[in-house]
Amino acid sequence: MPRQSAVEIAERVRVQAERSGAQEAESYLETSTTSEVRLRQGQIELLQQSVVQGLGLRVLRDRRMGFLYTTDLRDAVLNELVNRTLALTNQATPRDENKIAEFLAVTQSDLEIYDPAVVQLRVEDLVRFARTAEESAFAQDKRIQTTRDVRCGTASQEVFFSNTYIPRQTYRATAVWLSATPIATQGGQKREGTFTDRKRFFGELAKPEQIGQRAVERALARLGAAPVPSARVPVVFSAEAAGLFLQNLFPAFSALNVIEQRSFLAGKVGQAVASPGITIVDDGTMRRGLGTRYFDGEGVQTHRTVLVDRGVLRQYCHSAATARRLNVPPTGNGLRSYDTLPAIAPTNLYIEAGSSTHKLVEEVPLGLYVTGLAGFGVDTVSGEYSQQVDGQWIEKGVLTKAVEGVTVAGRLDEMLLGVDGVGRDLEFRSNVASPSIRFKQLTVAGGV
Amino acid sequence: MITTALAAGLPEAVSFLNPKAAEGALMGIGQELRDVLNEETVNRILQEALARGGDFADVFAEQRFRTAIVLDAGKIDSVTYGYPRGAGVRVVRRNQTGYAFSDELSYSSLLDAARVASTVVETQSRTNPIDVTRRNPAAPFTLVAPEPMMPEAAKLDLLRRMDAAARAADPRIVSVRIDYVDEVRDVLIGTSDGVYVIDRQYITGISCAPIAQAGGKRGSGLATLGGRIDSTYFERVDPEEAAKRAGLQAARLLEAGPAPAGPMPVVVGPGWGGVLIHESLGHALEGDGIRRGTSLLSGLGGTRVASPLLRVVDDGRWPNGRGTCSVDDEGTPSQRTVAVEAGVLQSYLLDKQNSALLGLRSTGNGRRMSYRNWPIPRMTNTYIDVGTSEPVSLLNGITKGFYAAELGGGSVETTSGNFNFAVREGYWIENGRLTRPVRGAILIGNSLETMQRIEGIGTDLVVDTTRGTCGKDGQAVPVGVGQPTVRFSSITVGGPSI
Repeated sequence: MPRQSAVEIAERVRVQAERSGAQEAESYLETSTTSEVRLRQGQIELLQQSVVQGLGLRVLRDRRMGFLYTTDLRDAVLNELVNRTLALTNQATPRDENKIAEFLAVTQSDLEIYDPAVVQLRVEDLVRFARTAEESAFAQDKRIQTTRDVRCGTASQEVFFSNTYIPRQTYRATAVWLSATPIATQGGQKREGTFTDRKRFFGELAKPEQIGQRAVERALARLGAAPVPSARVPVVFSAEAAGLFLQNLFPAFSALNVIEQRSFLAGKVGQAVASPGITIVDDGTMRRGLGTRYFDGEGVQTHRTVLVDRGVLRQYCHSAATARRLNVPPTGNGLRSYDTLPAIAPTNLYIEAGSSTHKLVEEVPLGLYVTGLAGFGVDTVSGEYSQQVDGQWIEKGVLTKAVEGVTVAGRLDEMLLGVDGVGRDLEFRSNVASPSIRFKQLTVAGGV
Repeated sequence: MITTALAAGLPEAVSFLNPKAAEGALMGIGQELRDVLNEETVNRILQEALARGGDFADVFAEQRFRTAIVLDAGKIDSVTYGYPRGAGVRVVRRNQTGYAFSDELSYSSLLDAARVASTVVETQSRTNPIDVTRRNPAAPFTLVAPEPMMPEAAKLDLLRRMDAAARAADPRIVSVRIDYVDEVRDVLIGTSDGVYVIDRQYITGISCAPIAQAGGKRGSGLATLGGRIDSTYFERVDPEEAAKRAGLQAARLLEAGPAPAGPMPVVVGPGWGGVLIHESLGHALEGDGIRRGTSLLSGLGGTRVASPLLRVVDDGRWPNGRGTCSVDDEGTPSQRTVAVEAGVLQSYLLDKQNSALLGLRSTGNGRRMSYRNWPIPRMTNTYIDVGTSEPVSLLNGITKGFYAAELGGGSVETTSGNFNFAVREGYWIENGRLTRPVRGAILIGNSLETMQRIEGIGTDLVVDTTRGTCGKDGQAVPVGVGQPTVRFSSITVGGPSI
């Protein structure tokens, strides 16, 4: 769809909603183009190309809220949907915080989230990168005979926004990714390893050879893995594992969850909730960040928000509605796609880098180095934590053997307060990232 | 005639979803899809798709009408109508797939999609004329008068009653969130192997999540209702009673102690506990991993992979099941597949592409999230079949063990077979009896090892039709899972207490 017509549609639908009886309205039109190639054993297994367009419209009447979304942008359909949604809106409960955001996004400097070089990549290029990554994986070790697949793709997205107070606002962004999953075989055991890099700018993407190589390292490291006996020991999370942990922890920082008593961090602003080595930031303005954007799904300008400052909880992440309920400024975390209502989500969320990475393991006499996490055992309501992990056993500061079939468990509040080491290896390959961190003591549940 | 909620209690009906009564129920389905994509246009699109060669092509068009209501903190928080529609074209040549889709339902945009999808095929070969013929799928269950089509006012009233019931369950309930979703999905599938079907699918889901709080502790409960429900559903199920149970579940967790750590005898309760078989064996049975040789069950057909007590069934026709359908998303009629019989691997779960590569037939498991995705082998309603033990007898002889009354979510890595799932409601088993409640446990294991450790299967089979959504390769689809009470000689419980 040409750019001009998209922004016109967004504005026209919003105006039409206001004419049909909405006191305030907000439309969010998104278009994106995605290409992905999946390669396996040198052959293209999947080639997918798509162009997506969709519109979401929020309408407010007497502080009651209704929402519709569609991919069918024909006038007659939109008219009908707007009228139906307004009728349904009358059934909702009026809430004081139901209000379209009036915060005008101030023009910001270039956040560098759009790279023309990504848009210019052709399918043949994606195939070539994927092939190089796979060949480099096979070349590493003869125990690598197959891959689950290697994926390479690009996406470019444009957002067209219009509300009662901001007639037009747009941005565009790109992403490129390359991911390899080789499978290592030894005896009867098969173990896979995945390494994924994802960036806004093509020039920052790791080289295909490097991606193949690092994925192989991960697969090989898992061969021969076995459970260890249950114990309470220091546990080091690799940067990748710590990033997943932080992602799972995020719902505790959502102001809505805090207000509704669904977060173990409720009522703890100003208190120490983590060790002094921990600073947690959500930064929607980070240059080239995968979670960076000029404004959130409600038109609110993005911010850099320090959630935890040297262990002390400073604030939560807000949508426009929660900010209004608590009478604080919004943080630009009302994120969405065209087919969802804005919900509080992280932009670029990270733990700030510390001083040393290798010491985290070297200082441990007996413990566990966790490189992979799986499962649903992070309860940010009650604060309980237990996840299936794999990694390496640490003896006298050295990684000694591969471990799997164990869990690590603790209470999230005690875990965060008990972090006694933060690495310097913070790297962004997703919008949530962390350096390696060490928990003073967790319960490892394993074999007999 | 099918009446729709769209017509109930609201101004005029949307013409594109209002079935024409004169044509009868089936003929009214997907009218607009068929206007754009009749047999002739589908044929032409498929010919374009195969113009550069290829073994197989299909066209998949879809439109959905979705209604969502959220009640939070006692208030109707938001009401949503969603109307996504579009179509995709797939070209398959052996193990290669080209896929392109359009949000616009028009002949010209689908011809474009066909050309883009066909670029995956590098060779020039045939352009045989294709003959697609209409097939009327047999309904797998009787949707007498589709219940998802309640008037909007009745839906809102239902949510308010559930909210009140959950709060009344215990004075320590501080928060309740209830989500209601219903959806009508029309699909049109045309394939180069001669299928032309149009189907209408309904699904309803209600979840009620109360939080209890006291003395710095919090516990959450969950009740879910729905599925591909029929008119008698709410005569059989009491939503307020379900909400009350969720409230009690949340409150009970306030008194629960920390979970144990380490391997021990484990008994898993009926119903949603079937997430265990879904994760441990179900995903490994799916044809893509089998064909690639990356599944731990690759090449094990006809061999013993589990305890001889175990029969595993995937049934695309289970009454009301979230995974139930007339035809899968490739137009193959759904079926009941016995995947494991007496512990022996009998059948994989297959779509068209992978079954062809394996020299087998599709089992009706080719599913996709929407027209934006290509079909891949997926489970429908998967369960451990009924056994012979009295459920309560399965606790006998356990001096110290763990009872998982209700599980949460789970996941598996199909290459290694390492799986995990969270326990929502758990208890200690001491000397053959349930004693103290436990919080924050997860269960982990390896598929093949764990399935050998089944010691007893109860007579109390329940298949959950209310809450399963399975994610794979970025595609979420509704599924059913089930089991009777099952006892394992040992599973590792991951808690903080050694």
